[in-house]
Order: sequence, then structure tokens, then C-alpha cells
Amino acid sequence: MGNNIKILAIDTSCDETAAAVTEKNRVLSNIIWSQASMHAKWGGVYPSLAKRAHQERIDWVINKALGTSHQSLVTDVDAIAVTVGPGLAIALEVGINYAKELSKKYNKPLITVNHVEGHLLSPLTSSNTKDQRLKTNVFPSLAFVASGSTTQLILVKKIGDYKILATTVDDALGEALDKAARMLGLGYPGGAVLEKMARLAAKRARDGSPNSYPLPIPMMGKEDRLQFSYSGLKTAMYKLVESQKPLNSDEIENLSETFQDRAFQHAEKLIKKILNKYSIRELYFGGGVSANINLRKRIRKICKQNNIKLRLPYSKKLCTDNAVMIGVAAFYKFKRNIFLKPEQTVLVERFPRAKVDEKFPWE
Amino acid sequence: MPTETLYGAFVDATNPKAVKKLTQYKNRPFGKPYSVAVTTQKMAEKYVELNETAKNLYKTFLPGPMTIVSKGRHNVANGVESETGSLGIRIPDYKLVTDIVKKLGKPLTATSANASYKARPYKVLDILGNISEKQKKLIDLIIDSGELPHNEPSTVIDTILDASVVLRQGKIKLKGKNEVLSKSEENTQNIGKELWQKYEKYYGKRAIVFALEGPMGAGKTQFTKGLARAMGINDEVVSPTYNLEEEYDKGKLLHIDAWRMLSDSEFVELDFAKKITDKSIISIEWADKVSDEIRKYSEEAIVVWIKIIYLSRRSKTKKGGDNERLISWETI
Repeated sequence: MGNNIKILAIDTSCDETAAAVTEKNRVLSNIIWSQASMHAKWGGVYPSLAKRAHQERIDWVINKALGTSHQSLVTDVDAIAVTVGPGLAIALEVGINYAKELSKKYNKPLITVNHVEGHLLSPLTSSNTKDQRLKTNVFPSLAFVASGSTTQLILVKKIGDYKILATTVDDALGEALDKAARMLGLGYPGGAVLEKMARLAAKRARDGSPNSYPLPIPMMGKEDRLQFSYSGLKTAMYKLVESQKPLNSDEIENLSETFQDRAFQHAEKLIKKILNKYSIRELYFGGGVSANINLRKRIRKICKQNNIKLRLPYSKKLCTDNAVMIGVAAFYKFKRNIFLKPEQTVLVERFPRAKVDEKFPWE
Repeated sequence: MPTETLYGAFVDATNPKAVKKLTQYKNRPFGKPYSVAVTTQKMAEKYVELNETAKNLYKTFLPGPMTIVSKGRHNVANGVESETGSLGIRIPDYKLVTDIVKKLGKPLTATSANASYKARPYKVLDILGNISEKQKKLIDLIIDSGELPHNEPSTVIDTILDASVVLRQGKIKLKGKNEVLSKSEENTQNIGKELWQKYEKYYGKRAIVFALEGPMGAGKTQFTKGLARAMGINDEVVSPTYNLEEEYDKGKLLHIDAWRMLSDSEFVELDFAKKITDKSIISIEWADKVSDEIRKYSEEAIVVWIKIIYLSRRSKTKKGGDNERLISWETI
């Protein structure tokens, strides 16, 4: 088996039921069952009876992940990996129980993974064996994980050694974008629609009709606190939208652009603050919001100015919740000998509020 | 045939045989829905139920490159609506398509003409070069109008979640005796603290539920922050919108968010009944969306209903008037 271990990874932390087979940091299959697969590119989905939905789908998803990867049986993989937190307790439980059973039944080691570490390491995933990502990374790095439930800046001293430097005190960035879209009558989940609307407004601005709305940049002048906060911006947006109603399509697009701009400027300021304070070599950007082209552009610019390398997931399918990233994070843990033997898996339980810089009690 | 965004594959969306043939052609799993093209909002309403959000979007953006997802009326062939019964509607800004729909009098499926997972087709060769002989035989007619401008695919907007909100507004009426003004996040947190001190005496005897109702950004999470601090909890209280629930201090305080829930059943599914114990303290944001369920526990638990509303700027001279909220509460 050596270093080329194959891992069957499972993630049921929130809405999506996901399974994947990975080999080292390489994707062999990536199966995600999501009701929103047709309707939304990223962001959250309806919880739709979370627990039962996961239970109904998990068999199909795992078999499909095995089949697609040409490892048709569980016996063909070397280890099982599963997300134990953070997430919704009753949803996490479904994946954990399934993974424990597989571990015992097929006598495979079990690797427990933090969902946020998955997003953090997702930029290290590769699609082929020749990829050099594994060999070139240098530390310390800064990771920006932004999704519907997480908004954190994490110092990566090395893989597996993290420190959360900044986190949100209220809403996550992806959540704020979805809620802004909802306020503008763009449905739910609307983060991706908001991005598209903003792009149209930006194009018009380049053509000579700039827009300006009085929305504040969150936590202005308080960047030293290293806190994300989107509730104030949300309140300001709500009042602005209510006062401007009814909105025409240009106004909706302009408001989308302004909201996105303020939300992103807030993140940029915190990233810059940290880059001034620590000597960072690379920046990792993961989570659903890392699919946003405008935010990528802004962060790329910061990286360029600071002469550091930006790492992004190679596909947008790895930005939103998936199990590939769990397999990749598990691979690094396995290399560090952090796994459980089948008879030890009884210690494993769900950890809804797990923090990426804390060990699980059984490790 | 061409559309405003790319070459599309069209069949009569009400004809099961045709839809089956399309699914064969697209080579995609059953259960993946198709959007359909109609000509007017009136025609759309034969096939979907439009809520306020959807109606506004139709008015503002259609006809145009936008797909609006609503609750389907099951008037299309099996496999066109999604598993959950939703249906995406398009009103294309493209005369060829609308003329055909008008003449046919029925909606057409509006899906790109490529097989699943293949590149977007901007010219006929993009399609024919990427499909098998078998797939080619399924095509009855190709209308070739050369290479199309490389426009983006349509924007998909899902309006389903909004339906539940409208249905449930204003169910709980407060007499409004207990009310207080908040001018800041800190004020709102303090009110959380004060209400905890008021109801703390029931702790250990009955479950205490703080049900929070109020518009976006009103301060429901802020209230819960104050509540948690007063309870001596050090964990950071954040919005539980995505995770649906957060547990602080090993379950001492449970923080639930119903914003994303489509129906009461999703709330029930969180095992809410089991969480009502003598020692439980629960804060529920967007409680108005699940008010029927919460009310069921008004006997065995102390349910404090808290309503937060924004005050419009009544007088400009009043200091801080721009950020004022009225917070009222009552046990129900």
C-alpha cells in the first residue's frame, strides 16, 4: 500500500450526501447528491428532511463513488474517511455510522476528518498523477475558507498544524450573499445569481454608468480585532432595499454589485492585515465562495502585491461541499499515522462544533 | 435549433414519449429536471404556481435569459419536473422559439442540445461532433443558423423557498404590552440578557424556548448572543442558518434557525420533540416559519415569543432613529 493509499471518503455534514474515492491527493471519483445540482452552483440548499434524506441516498452515493473510480468493492480501498464535524448533528451521524460499519465489516482503518480542514486542503487536490502540487508547497501559509457556514482565516504552520486567526462573529460570507440575493427577490440559494447580476452592473460601469449606493464596509477601522461580521451590512442592505422598492433590473444588478463589493472589501482588509503581521508564503482559498470570480480576482491581486502564491481548487466542483476534499485531508492524516483501527472506532462520535485547530478527543 | 444562449434540444414537454426520447438523447439520469419554454406569464401559470418573488422576477427580467423555478402543477410529462416537483420556466427573447411554442400551444423543453457533461453548443458541429450515431438517429430535425454569439447560459433562480414565508406571516399576534426600544446591537444583546434574567427561574423545571421573529438583519442572532452571555456561555454565538442548529456549552443552549426550512416537517425532523426537556433552553430564529410546531409545546415549555420590527425614521431630530428597532415579547 505504501504512500499510494486509496481512500473511500464520506461527507454528510449538511445538505449534500457526498462520497469519493481518492488516491493520495488525486480524485478517482466525486459523487454528490444534491437537490440543488441543477439549480445552484454553490451555496446552501434546502435542508429537506436532512437525516432521512442522507439515509436514503448514502448507499447509492457510495456505490456510485466506488463504481466510477473502478474500485468496485470496499475491499479495493485501503481506508475509510468520514467527516465528523462541524455540521448538523443528525446529518453527520448518518455518515459516521456508515463509515464505522464499513471499517468494522471490511477491517479497514478509519480516518476522521474536520470538514473545514477538507475545504482548507481542497486546493491541493489534483486530477492526475503528474501533478506537482504536493512537492512544491511551502509554509507558513494562510488559508481563507469561505462558505455558507464558515468564514475563517487560518494560519497553516504545516499540514495538520493550524491556528484560526479570524472567524465570523455572526453570519458567514456565503450566507450573507445568499441573504442579500433573497432580499433582492433573487430566490434561494442566490449567491451565484447575485454574482451574475453584479457582473452585469460592473460591465455597465465600465461602459460609463457607475453606480453607487451608501452601503458600509463592515468593521471599518476595527480590522485589528480580526473578526468577520456581516450582520451590520445585512441590516443596511435590508433598509436600503426596502427604501428603494420597487426595483428595476438595473437597480437589482447595481445593488448586487455594491453588496458584493462591500462584503469582499471586508475580507480583503482582514487578509491584508494578516499578511502584514505574519510572513506568509502561500494563500489557500477554498469553500463555496471561492468559486466567485470577482473575489478570486481581488485575492489574486493581493497575492501578487505580496508576492505570494495563490492556490485554488482546480475545479468549481471542489469548492462546494464534496467528499474528495475529505479524502485528501484524510490522506495527509494517514501519512502522519492518525487513524483508528476498526476496534477503536467505537470512540468516534459526531462533533457538530469541531474547530479546525483542535484535535478530536480520540486522536 | 438556435436560441438566445446556445443551440437547444426541443421536444413537446407534455408528451411522455418525446421526453423519454430526449432523456435518451441527452444520456442523463432520470430525475434530472428540464426547464420548459413558454411565451407568456399566463401560459407559465398553467404549469407552475407563481409566488410574489416569481411574479416580480417575471415582470423585471422576462422575456430574457433567465430560468425561474417554481412549484410545478404536474401538467408536464413525467421527468420534466424535479424529484421534488419543482419546474423551471423560461420565456425566451427569441422569436423562432416563441413562434413555435405559440403555434404548438404547449411548452417545449428548453435544454442545451449537447449530451450531458459535454461542451456548450454554439454551432451544429459542436453537437454532432460530440454524440454517437445512436444519438444522432434520435434527432428528427436540425435548424442550422450558423455559429451563435457566445452568450452565457441562462441564470437559474429558485423561488420555491419564498412560498412558505408568505403563507405564514403574522400568525402570532402579540398584545404588545412588553416592549422596548433597541438602538444598537449592544442594546439588543442586553434585552436578551434581561429576558434571561426574567425567565431563568423556570430553568430546571421546564424547557424555556425563545422564539424569535423579525426581518433580515433585525438582530435575532444578537439577541441570542446576549442570552448566551447571560447564561455564562463563552462559545461564540453565530448565525445557525446553514447548519440549522448550533449547540453551545455542551448543549446548555440550543440555537435553531428555520430560515431555510420549507415546511414544519423539516423542523420536526430535527428531533425537536426530544429536545424539550426540563433543562433545555432553546433559541429559535425565524420562529414564525414553524410557529405551528412551536405552539404545540406551549403547555410543557415556557415559550417566549419575541418580535423585532424596524422603526421607520419617524423624526429626523430623534437621535439614532435610523437604527431603531422595537422589540416586544410575550409568553404564548
